Amino acid sequence: MPVQSEDYVPFAQRPEWADVVPVPQYDGVQPLAPIFYTPEYKDATDYFRGIVKTGEMSERVLVLTEEVIRMNPAHYSAWQYRYRTLLAINASLKDELEFTKGLAIAHLKTYQVWHHRRLLLAATNDPADELRFLESVLNVDVKNYHTWSYRQWVLAHFDREEMWAGEVDYVDRLLEEDLRNNSAWHHRFFITFQRAGKDTREDVVKRELVFAKQKIALAPNNMSAWNYLRGVLDYSHTPYASQEDFVRPYTGTQVPLSFDSDVIDVENPLPSEGSRLPAVPAIEFLADIYEVEGKEGVDEAIPLWKSLAEEHDTIRKKYWEYRIHEAVTAA
Amino acid sequence: MTSVNQPLPKHALDDEYPTKTSALQRETEDILQAHVAQGAPTLDRSAHLQFLIRNLVQGFPARYISQDASQPWLMYWTLQSFSVLQVAVDPVNKQRAIDTIMAWQHPDGGFAGGSGQAAHLLPTYASICSLAIVGRPGPGGGWDQIDREKLYKLFMSLKQPDGSFIVSEHGEVDVRGIYCLLVSAYLVDILTPELIEDTAAFIASCQTYEGGFASASHPYYAAQEDKNTPLQCISSPRPNLGEAHGGYTYCALAAWVLLKPFLPEEGAPSIDVKRLLRWAVNMQGSETEVGGFRGRTNKLIDGCYSWWGGGEFALLEALGVSGHREHAPLRPQHEAGPTEEWVGSDDSVFNRDAMQRFILLTAQHPAGGLRDKPPKHPDAYHTLYCLAGLSVAQHRVTQSPARRSELRSAWTPKPEIKYDMVRKTAFTEALCWSEEEGSSIIIGPASNRVNASHPLFNLTMTHSEGIMAHFYKQTLPKRFVRAPPKVA
Repeated sequence: MPVQSEDYVPFAQRPEWADVVPVPQYDGVQPLAPIFYTPEYKDATDYFRGIVKTGEMSERVLVLTEEVIRMNPAHYSAWQYRYRTLLAINASLKDELEFTKGLAIAHLKTYQVWHHRRLLLAATNDPADELRFLESVLNVDVKNYHTWSYRQWVLAHFDREEMWAGEVDYVDRLLEEDLRNNSAWHHRFFITFQRAGKDTREDVVKRELVFAKQKIALAPNNMSAWNYLRGVLDYSHTPYASQEDFVRPYTGTQVPLSFDSDVIDVENPLPSEGSRLPAVPAIEFLADIYEVEGKEGVDEAIPLWKSLAEEHDTIRKKYWEYRIHEAVTAA
Repeated sequence: MTSVNQPLPKHALDDEYPTKTSALQRETEDILQAHVAQGAPTLDRSAHLQFLIRNLVQGFPARYISQDASQPWLMYWTLQSFSVLQVAVDPVNKQRAIDTIMAWQHPDGGFAGGSGQAAHLLPTYASICSLAIVGRPGPGGGWDQIDREKLYKLFMSLKQPDGSFIVSEHGEVDVRGIYCLLVSAYLVDILTPELIEDTAAFIASCQTYEGGFASASHPYYAAQEDKNTPLQCISSPRPNLGEAHGGYTYCALAAWVLLKPFLPEEGAPSIDVKRLLRWAVNMQGSETEVGGFRGRTNKLIDGCYSWWGGGEFALLEALGVSGHREHAPLRPQHEAGPTEEWVGSDDSVFNRDAMQRFILLTAQHPAGGLRDKPPKHPDAYHTLYCLAGLSVAQHRVTQSPARRSELRSAWTPKPEIKYDMVRKTAFTEALCWSEEEGSSIIIGPASNRVNASHPLFNLTMTHSEGIMAHFYKQTLPKRFVRAPPKVA
């Protein structure tokens, strides 16, 4: 909570608020599990309750709700009342958007700052600068859940070609910086496969498979990239078996030497030097390929699952045993 | 595959390709492992109780002003922590709790984050659950002062054309709110087919390619023929807003299990359970992270996901995912010495032992209260969700077919009520969860045992039964001890 500056004047001492009757929170109740409020917070929220009681919607309500929000940005009722007041007095929503920029950056993890922005942006219908603003916010916290889901809402809601256009490059950059950033992977899936009215073409599926495999080659134990690979295959109903040649080298114990380093197979990139092999997600993937091949396949998958249970992924022993049990029962 | 017996690595594998994520991961692993080396896996009950009593009776310090709009949560986290620790609140404080909670009821229905605030789905859940713990029938008891008609009207007013709900007037849509609404509706008997129409389809639309669930999805609507036709949400695409996340996944999955008995036989929406399970098991950190749970792929573990993540497995059992029972002879629990670790038959698909160790060795703050991870401070939220996580790791609570039929036979119909069959289903499905005798696993001394918690509500079984029997006007059949099924 930000400390109030020394010249902060409580509402009880502001002459322009003399006509408002402050309402204390608890009337005749000695609350259990109370919060020790600061005098400033108690004062501001008493006046807020006073305003809510009379239903006043005026310019000064914006002053009051701002003070409450600055002291507690999660005060959803103050946000809600502020929004209703903005509409009631026909205030400039563009100014409000500008005003809440600072609050959004200061209180990234608060639901309300983002939702308020969403209401405003939907009302003004002018998202031109929003993605750039969000990039500056994500620079502060590149995995912030609210910021990402809000960015995705902005894209889906306004659905403008020029806004979608820059997204692949943006995600490319983020994954270049950190290929373990799962929020960026999810965003990649969102912009590629979840855009309304866009049938994903075969060449896009192929491009995305290659992209995921290149990233797996750099760090084969990165689950984000494997999940994306699986996601693309599932989405396009491509059998996992199509990736057997790619996956196999990742299940060995050593980084294979490329016979001819001049020839690079983009479809089947080999694990990079430094890779820790065998990679658990690769063993799992190979077992998944075998599992769908019927009884003989299951027989080949079982030793792979056993190696995960007993050696490579022991924390999930129960899960791998479950997989064996399920596969044997089904086969 | 050649098998080389290597010692377990100290760090998650970064393939000599370090990034910001892997660097942070390493730092965290070092801290966790240093903590494990110091402590013993003993639940410091008295320190935690002191922490809880201080919060309840003295109150919360000024930094909790940030949670002034979550006062019912502070109450619920504290009261339910007591319940998990098998401690009841004294009558005087119970009454004070009831009076405090009732001051949060909004004149137009539902509960608010504090007195004089707006009604909101999240504090409504927290208030009703708190009343399940401390409330009672009759004047001043809270239960009969819940305005159920207004509550139902509030819920219907928050409903959106895609089957979702906004959390409050002008509020956001997300699966937490839907979970809170469904639990509240179940507990106080206001569930109707109208209330939950299309909600399951919304939940299903939040599942991501990874298998877990996002906070919400974005609806697109078909063009309306005229203004009077209701909006029709298009079934595809319904893009996910946000990545798969442990908190949202728990809420979405619990909502799904609550809605499942009411799905139509044909044309019902579906979720991919296999993919969900794969994602869920991968949220458990490896030995390098002491087996705690993370909330998203490649993020750090956090004690609160012990409940959100660990709690998903009981819910998955309701969808048919049950672990493989080892063909080991059962050993009665009393054979285990007070400090000896007892390993029974374990049907779970996640690592219950490791998660208990994680909570006991790293999530307990030495001065009382539980936390995200060292060196963080404890708080009310993490205290409950670590303790509730310990509970799901100790106890295996599942839907019992035997209990279900007992409840069905004992049901007293109220034909004058419009949706009596819906009520019967809600009542029996919610209360047929039972703990199988002999299936608990307690790591550390026997005194580490905590109460079992209802996997859907996060209330004890007793509190769930008490409030539901009251609102559904039913007499519960006596619970018989469930013997474990025969081992082949």
